[in-house]
Amino acid sequence: MNGPHDMGGMHNMGSIPIEEHEPVFHSEWEAKVFAISFATFANYFPVDETRQASELMPPGQYLSSRYYERWLYALELLMTKHNLVTQAEIEDRIAQMAQTDP
Amino acid sequence: MSSHDPQPHADIALRVKAIESLLIEKGIVDPAALDAIIDAYEHKIGPHNGARIVAKAWVDPEFKQRLLMDGTSAIAELGLTGFSSEHMVVVENTPTVHNLIVCTLCSCYPWAILGLPPTWYKSFAYRSRAVIDPRGVLQEFGLEMPKSVEVRVWDSNADLRYLVLPERPQHTEGMTEDALAALVTRNAMIGTAQVSPPTFSNELADAEVAQ
Amino acid sequence: MSIEPSNECMTVAQVEVLLRDGLSCQSESDTPAKFKVSDRVRAKVMHPQTYTRLPRYARGKMGTVMRDHGVYVFPDTVGQRLDTKPQHVYSIRFAASELWGANTPTNDFLFLDLFDDHLEPI
Repeated sequence: MNGPHDMGGMHNMGSIPIEEHEPVFHSEWEAKVFAISFATFANYFPVDETRQASELMPPGQYLSSRYYERWLYALELLMTKHNLVTQAEIEDRIAQMAQTDP
Repeated sequence: MSSHDPQPHADIALRVKAIESLLIEKGIVDPAALDAIIDAYEHKIGPHNGARIVAKAWVDPEFKQRLLMDGTSAIAELGLTGFSSEHMVVVENTPTVHNLIVCTLCSCYPWAILGLPPTWYKSFAYRSRAVIDPRGVLQEFGLEMPKSVEVRVWDSNADLRYLVLPERPQHTEGMTEDALAALVTRNAMIGTAQVSPPTFSNELADAEVAQ
Repeated sequence: MSIEPSNECMTVAQVEVLLRDGLSCQSESDTPAKFKVSDRVRAKVMHPQTYTRLPRYARGKMGTVMRDHGVYVFPDTVGQRLDTKPQHVYSIRFAASELWGANTPTNDFLFLDLFDDHLEPI
């Protein structure tokens, strides 16, 4: 697909964000998104299918996303596509957790 | 890097918690497995693995030949192939050739050998520029490449993963493999740095360790 | 033959195995390689709306086969959970000037791993 992910040769992406001594994960949610994705690789989704899923993000969203946001997008897309979880279940659980944990 | 106000950040953390709790409830993921994965990449797997490969190649010419001919087999001798490093190609820096690794399409990287990639490797700036202006990218990392040096960029678009074998620095004669490995940085194994010669403080640290 | 996942919950023991052994993408095929080392090839002009690992910047460009990596599953189809289509994948060297035009250093090169299905002879 001729999507924004295919960015070799694109211009105007700014300077390279070099961070000295950066942690492996910058926050707990990143670590969890990574771990959940890893735990579902091979068993539920071939790795190439996960790459393909993150490419389906609409271009504007892709180009303003952070790295693990794209992983989350792919994870949700694949989980719902393969009926492991529904969008409604996710939204309900968020609403539930937001109430008990302000 | 774009700026984000705190609200979306809190939203995403909650979203991930919600998804995690659902998947655990449904028996799709095991929380102990999630912890094991995070622990592995935070504390066990990292560039020290790649540094061992480099150091061995520097002291053992036959290993180095095997490494360049068939990276996978040679790295497997050290038990260091693994997830996202099953199929390895090692490319050698010399005084006339400099190699640089990128994945323009996503951020493929030899995790088992170098750990998880740094933010800069995954950035749009690096992914887009490394293939069209590698010398400019190297300058951003403080590396001035002479015009006479050939620059080779390897875009990891398939299932093979790449490791740069950096040049062995000067003033390292007689050093042990462990001491050599301690000099090798992650960036040198991606191609955005060269390995610096040992400084006096390195030698002091080595002497302390030897005691 | 397509890759069918097991749909099992990954255990801690499986995590250890997966980290240590990884997942091989190598495969077998009776179909002979279309190309050999030193062949001049052209990356196809193809614009699938579906998944492909042939970047746009290389499509239609000429390169040289530097190495035959052997037979691997084809990511373009595996990514869509279609047939594995095992085939040869090669390290193809492109001159930077071929990709980016005359104002690039003549001693800059770019290497991509491209499959039989991505390439045509010149």
